[in-house]
Formats: sequence, C-alpha cells, structure tokens
Amino acid sequence: MLSQYLKNNVHFLNSAPTWEEAIKLAAEPLLNKGNITEKYVQDMIQNVNVNGPYIVIVPGIAMPHAQNHDGGVLKTGISFLKLKEPVFFPEEKDVNILFVLAAEDATGHLELISDLSSLLIDEDAMVKFKEASSETEIIEIIESVE
Amino acid sequence: MSNATAITEVKNPSPSARARIQAFGGFLTNMVLPNIGAFIAWGILTALFIPTGWIPNEKLAEIVGPSITYLLPLLLAGTGGRMIAGQRGAIMGMIGAIGLIVGSGIPMFLGAMIIGPLGGWVIKKFDKSIENKVPAGFEMIVNNFSIGILGFLLMILSFYVIGPVIESANNFVTSAIKSLVATGFLPLLSLINEPAKILFLNNVIDQGIYYPLGMQETLKEGKSIFFTVASNPGPGLGLLLAFSVFGKKAAKRTAPGAIIIHFLGGIHELYFPYVLMKPLTIIAMIAGGMSGITVFNLFNVGLVAGPSPGSIFSYLALTPKGNFLGVIAGVVVAAVVSFVITSIILKLDKKADEEEDFTSSIEKSKSMKSEGKQILSSSLVNPTSNTISKISFACDAGVGSSAMGATTFRKRLQKKNINGIEVKHYRIEDAPKDSDIIVVHKDLYERARLSHNDKKIITISNYIDDPNLAQLINELEEK
Repeated sequence: MLSQYLKNNVHFLNSAPTWEEAIKLAAEPLLNKGNITEKYVQDMIQNVNVNGPYIVIVPGIAMPHAQNHDGGVLKTGISFLKLKEPVFFPEEKDVNILFVLAAEDATGHLELISDLSSLLIDEDAMVKFKEASSETEIIEIIESVE
Repeated sequence: MSNATAITEVKNPSPSARARIQAFGGFLTNMVLPNIGAFIAWGILTALFIPTGWIPNEKLAEIVGPSITYLLPLLLAGTGGRMIAGQRGAIMGMIGAIGLIVGSGIPMFLGAMIIGPLGGWVIKKFDKSIENKVPAGFEMIVNNFSIGILGFLLMILSFYVIGPVIESANNFVTSAIKSLVATGFLPLLSLINEPAKILFLNNVIDQGIYYPLGMQETLKEGKSIFFTVASNPGPGLGLLLAFSVFGKKAAKRTAPGAIIIHFLGGIHELYFPYVLMKPLTIIAMIAGGMSGITVFNLFNVGLVAGPSPGSIFSYLALTPKGNFLGVIAGVVVAAVVSFVITSIILKLDKKADEEEDFTSSIEKSKSMKSEGKQILSSSLVNPTSNTISKISFACDAGVGSSAMGATTFRKRLQKKNINGIEVKHYRIEDAPKDSDIIVVHKDLYERARLSHNDKKIITISNYIDDPNLAQLINELEEK
C-alpha cells in the first residue's frame, strides 16, 4: 500500500536551506494534490518547535507529521523527499530522508506505517534504499518488503 | 553519541546543571545560526559601499544603517520567539524587539536575543491559559487580539526599559575606560573593549573615546596606539579561524566566509554572532586584545588615524613608516592568542558533550540495575503484578511516530514469538491508565510524566532500533 501511495510523490533534491524548508519541500506533492492544506504544513513545523525533533525517527530519517485538527488533512497520504546533503533539525540532528505523513483519521494510515516499519527494520532493503536515486527504485524496494 | 538515552524511571532526578547549561548554549546557537546569512549579506554590503569601503556608494550605503539597527535584531528576536512558541512566538518576539530597538538607538543584538524568547514565552503561557476555553468561532479573533494586545504592552515595556539601560551601560563603559587609561596600563582596556564591542557599543568607545585621545597624541607624536586598542582585527580573526577548524557543523562551515568579511573587509560585527553563540569565547577575545595591545606597546607603534573599517588593509595603510613590523606583529599575536584560547574552549565543549553522554550511559546502567531490582522485589511481593500485558507507545498526535514505534515493536515481538502483550499507540494524554509501560521519545518525557506520573516510562530516541527497546524485549523474552 505504501508503494501505491508514494507514486508521483517522490522527490530528490540536492539540499534544503533549513529543516523548515525541507518539510515544506517534502510536503509539496501532498499540498499540490490537495491531500493537505498549508495549515497542516505549518502544524508539522510547529510540532517540531513545540515538542522537539522527535519526528527524526531513526538517525537520518524524519517523518514529519502532526495532529489533524481544523481539517488540515483532507485525504490520507504520504510523500517522500531525499536530499543529497543532509539538513539539520534542532539539536543538530542531520536528516536526508523525509517521509511526510498526513493521516486523515486515527486508523486509515496504519497500513502505510506498517509498510514503512517493515522497510526500516529490513537492513538489506535499507542499504539499497539509502542508495536509491529514482522513484522507480524507491517504489521497487518498498514493494519488495510489503 | 546523540542517541544515548536512559531508561528513565518515575521520579527521576532533574537533568544536571551542566545539561541545562548545554541546553542553553544550544539555544543561543540555534537562535544565531539561522541568521548568519543575513549578517554576511550586511557585511558584504557594508564592506563595499560605506564611505571608507571598497567602492563607496552613498545611495546603497543607506541600506547599511537600517539593516543593522532593524533587520538583524528583528531576525534574531523572531528566531528566538519561534523557538519558544512557533510562528506566534516569532511575531511576539519581533514586536517586543522593535520597542527595544527604537528605544535604544544602537543595534540591539543581545537585547533582541532576550526579548525574542521572552515574547514567545508570554504568548505561549497565554495560549496555554486559554486552551479549550475559547468558544467555537472565536479562535481567530482571540488569536489575533491576544498577540495584538500583549505585543502592544511588550513593545511599550521594552521601549521604556531599554533606554535607561543603554544610557547607564554607556556611562559605565566611558568612565571605566577613562580610569583604565589613567592607570597607564593599556592592555587592561581589553577587559572593557571586547564585551562592549559585542554589545555594539564599539562606536561609542572608538569614536567617543579612543579616536579623540588618539588624535591628540598624533598631533604631538605623529601616531597613536589609541587607534589600535579596540580596532585590532587580530582577535576576531583568531576566533573565526578556531571556529573554522574546531567548530561544530554549521558554525564551522560559515566561519571561513565570515573571516573574509571581518579581516579583509574590516566589518567586525561578523564575529559577534559567534561570540554570542558561545559566550565563553569572550575570554579569548579579551586575551587576544590584551596581547595585541601589549605587542603594540612593546614595539612602541601606533597608527596615524582611526582605521575605519578595522580591516588589515586600513591598518597597513595607516601604519607610519618604520612601524610595520610592530603593527603586523600585534595583529598576528592577537590572532594567535585568541585562536588558541577559542580552540581550547571549543574542544572542552566537545569533551563536555562526550562526558555528558558518558555520565548518561552510567545513569542508564544504574537505572537498569535498579529497575532489575524493582522487578525482582515486586515479583517477590506480588507475583501477578510482574506480568506485562499492555505497552503503550505515545506521541504528540498519536498517529505518526507512536504508531511507527508500536507497529515495529509488535513485529519484533512476533519474530521472537512473544505473545499476549497488547502494544498500541496513543496521544500521550490518552494513553490508558492500565498500561504497564509507556514508551515515549525522550523529547516528550516531561510531558508524559505530567500525565502518567505513576507509570513506568521508557524513553527512546530511535523508533526502530533503540537500545532501551532491545533491553525491554530481552526482559520480556526471559519471562
């Protein structure tokens, strides 16, 4: 399911000036497709400001997300951004992979999370994943662990 | 090792004083670093276009003043406010800072770095106090007017407080310098000069005190050391070089650019943010300044006029014949001294980080031990309470990272064939009261403790592969 959701939502960039920008850039596909509103992007940034960079779920990988209040999320979705050069989150955590998660309700996205988790605990897949440089490659690797 | 975490037990002692100081240092750094680009932009502009710059341009030089007076402090205040309370904090911080700026009449960096977070804190407290009390439909008006009214008050407060503060600082600096000059031992002047520069009183001291003194002496002797006491570019060069070599990440990467603008362009303001990031480095600046003055004194050298801007080129241009060796030596020695001391400070800082990791890992092993005892003793007293049947992962929203943690943990349990444990994810505040263990990210520990004071809380910093979770799985496996 994760692989389907990621179609056309995968981007690669050289760098991002700040972590806030990185979240914005990573969220762009969801914003453009109408999955989320500008407000949700701000909420995700605010979440880090208030609660700290706990969305950096493993070293190098962040999963920006926030609570869906005031209709910030219109439709569950996920987007992916990979940076050549890492960007620094607070507490000097460097991140070069971002999965932006938008969850419409408390349950609809759990399969996505489950797939993502399968990917992250599969060491072989992660080695390939960190090397991947195209959407096709990314999606193939994810399909292999789903 | 940033992922060193501790299995934190209920009623754990509060973080050590050193950890707090470190957190504060990190706070200063995070407030300054994102804005270095603006400092550099301003530095290039100034080095080029001011009347004594490379290509003087009266029109473009008009940007110089407002940028340093308004733009840079406002940016710092905005970043400071944002770090405390997000966008609303940023707005409050900047509103407060403008009162300060207009009230002081000099570039108010330090003030902005205080008022910014203060503004953020005020609005955060306010927002918290009205949380869930605003009737539906009125959120927008309450949001806007709360910033509007509180900001208005903060603006006026900072305007009235800052004027007298600056005036008394000016008076203090002026009289302190005069009495130090009277002692005849000039290196002592650095004790006042360097802190005053960082506080942006450099124009007051240079143009108000040293240049007049220098001009008197020049009339008599053709040169004066007073032109050099506060304008030596050496100490700043040493500081920035040390940051280029031993600094951390972004500070390290930006320092070389700052060197060019500071040392060649003569815009000393470029090194101020680095001192503000690591306030202890002021010691290096003072020592650098002192050794510079000592060397100038030893060689009995001076300049023929006030070097403005204080770049190495204006120094050389204003050095009278026969003084070159002494002037260059003074600059070089100052740079070397401040480089060495700044390097030591930066190195100690790194070491302290490592020690902190080290102590936290000791704490961790201790708490693991006591936890082991606790499990043991509780199993002796009441064998049934020992079983763990419900583990709750919690995060801010209860949809993302907690779900990730819970899912991954379930998979790991499955692999190990451990059954009969319910692993679910929740918003921190909604985690059920009958959970045996609550797992949160270490950043959210305080908040989790507020709601679940009586629970065993495990903190993690990695949702997929955390040593504390591995430890928990081992424990569960043994049962």
